[in-house]
Amino acid sequence: MTRLAGAVGMRVAAVLLGAGCLVWAALPAVHRGYATFALDVAIAGVVAGGLRLALAAVPVPEESYWPSPGVRAWRAFLDLVRLVPWEEGAVIGIAWLEVLHPSRPWHTALLGAGLIAYLLIVHLAESDAPLATLRPQARVLGLGAVLLALGAGAGMLPAAGAGAGSGLLRLVAAGALIAAAGLVLPHVARDV
Amino acid sequence: MNPNGPTSPAAGTELELRWRSSRHTRRLLTLGLTGLFIAVLARRPEFAGLAAPALVLLAAGRARPQLPRIIVRAKPTTRRAFEDERLAVDVTADGTDDYSVRWRLHPGPEIAPVGATAADGRQARFVVTPERWGRRQIGKLEVTLRDRWRLAEGHATMTLPALDCYPTPARQQTTVVLRRLPNRLGEHPARTSGEGIEFFGVREYVPGDRQRSINWAASTRRGRLQVNTFAAERSQDVVLLVDSTSDVGQPGSSALDLALRGAGAAARAYLEARDRVGVITYQWGGASWLAPALGRRQVYRIIDSMLASDAGYARGASFARLPRAALPPGALVVVFSPLLDQRFVEALRDMRERGFSMLVVDVLNTEPPARRRTEDRLARRLWRMEQDAIRFSLRELGIPVVHWDGEEPLDLPLAAHTRRPMAARR
Repeated sequence: MTRLAGAVGMRVAAVLLGAGCLVWAALPAVHRGYATFALDVAIAGVVAGGLRLALAAVPVPEESYWPSPGVRAWRAFLDLVRLVPWEEGAVIGIAWLEVLHPSRPWHTALLGAGLIAYLLIVHLAESDAPLATLRPQARVLGLGAVLLALGAGAGMLPAAGAGAGSGLLRLVAAGALIAAAGLVLPHVARDV
Repeated sequence: MNPNGPTSPAAGTELELRWRSSRHTRRLLTLGLTGLFIAVLARRPEFAGLAAPALVLLAAGRARPQLPRIIVRAKPTTRRAFEDERLAVDVTADGTDDYSVRWRLHPGPEIAPVGATAADGRQARFVVTPERWGRRQIGKLEVTLRDRWRLAEGHATMTLPALDCYPTPARQQTTVVLRRLPNRLGEHPARTSGEGIEFFGVREYVPGDRQRSINWAASTRRGRLQVNTFAAERSQDVVLLVDSTSDVGQPGSSALDLALRGAGAAARAYLEARDRVGVITYQWGGASWLAPALGRRQVYRIIDSMLASDAGYARGASFARLPRAALPPGALVVVFSPLLDQRFVEALRDMRERGFSMLVVDVLNTEPPARRRTEDRLARRLWRMEQDAIRFSLRELGIPVVHWDGEEPLDLPLAAHTRRPMAARR
């Protein structure tokens, strides 16, 4: 019973996190740069991803020589829900909405934290794993959070000059930081 | 060692793992690449920060080596079961210390899982039940290994061992006994005096008779010593003849299902009565047989013999070619058949003409579908008349035909023949 409640709770948490990220990135609404399309993709991704998690334990109807239209439709629906990478679509849609959003870098940083939490919870829900599964990754996740904060900080720094070169410079600096972290990480991970 | 096939459960099976990125990895990669792409495109470093946690998770997880293969042991609690009997399959994976293991059972045809078909952990137990007789594959076992970071998944599939599923025997407690029994000790009272326990008659005392068998009442009446005599106890040879050429009806209660269940019940009943029981299966390409023998093991030999035979269209097997051991003279032949194959019916007539005592259990419980068209109705009537004619002709030859629906105990249709010894008419 506890396990069932845990599984249901994880699925609900995944859907709520996805919806939260979506609302965070979509409000206030903008009407440019395919925002409506991105919003539709993100909504479809979050909803269908939640459906996939909810229907994970439902068995596919057995093969039969001449299945009824209802069985065929149900099987096609299950295939559609299970095979399409809905969460990836949701992530791309939400990120695109964030680009269009008249927001500050801290807003994007919070969205990044929400999105990574959403993906981790989706993973735990689909593999029926407890939250403790993430414990070995705590240090790496902490490092990721630091990089996220640094990225946001780099975004908040005032530009050195008015030209496009200063933005590019900040971007290169952030990229170099991430690359350096990536080089150090294999050694960190071995010790975990 | 066979990498993906059944092998000795004790030794285990070495399975090659196919590693690939998990869905989790693909999602993290999507987030990371999207963040970087937008950061470059929009020149906003905060999006590089958004991509960072996903990318560092991927980089950290990729630093670990992957296990190339594992050893899996799968052991069913039994390799033989009756229909609807439960059996468990215990599975264990060795050498998977740093990985989480997930099992998923894909049951084979006519195998139904009881409970969950997926389990976690190095050891697991799956309970299944075979739904229909036959040699069945329990199914396939899918093993998924996940590393500690759950970024990579190693997949392997293993075929579980085959299972011999026996038909659930029908209920039969009484037996048909021939009037003439071979001169062999058994449990059926014969029509000659001997050393049994059933009263046979009274005769005059002769020296050597036991004193305890003197019938004092008769001796007083006749004025001379009289002794009781008892019926001799004999056994008989029983040959079960199973027609597996026609399998009509709903799966689970088809003619062949009923024939096998009835033959299984008859084998048990006659072997418990210390008779020698054998089986002949009339089948595709000829007839397979098992010579009559005694003992409880013979039940399983008989069922194995029936299961090993192919069901299907017969190419006119002739019983004249069967050796004497398979069809001993004077044996009682109990036939289980839907009587749909004309050549089988001819073979029965041939056996009857050779002097065998026979009894046919008709297991046909289905008819052509009822349709509205006149031609269909006419064809149905013709078919019924033909079936009646077949049964009538067998009865005319002295072969009793009883119908069995598969639901009631076999004792009921056989009651008319189990009450008194069956005459072997020639």
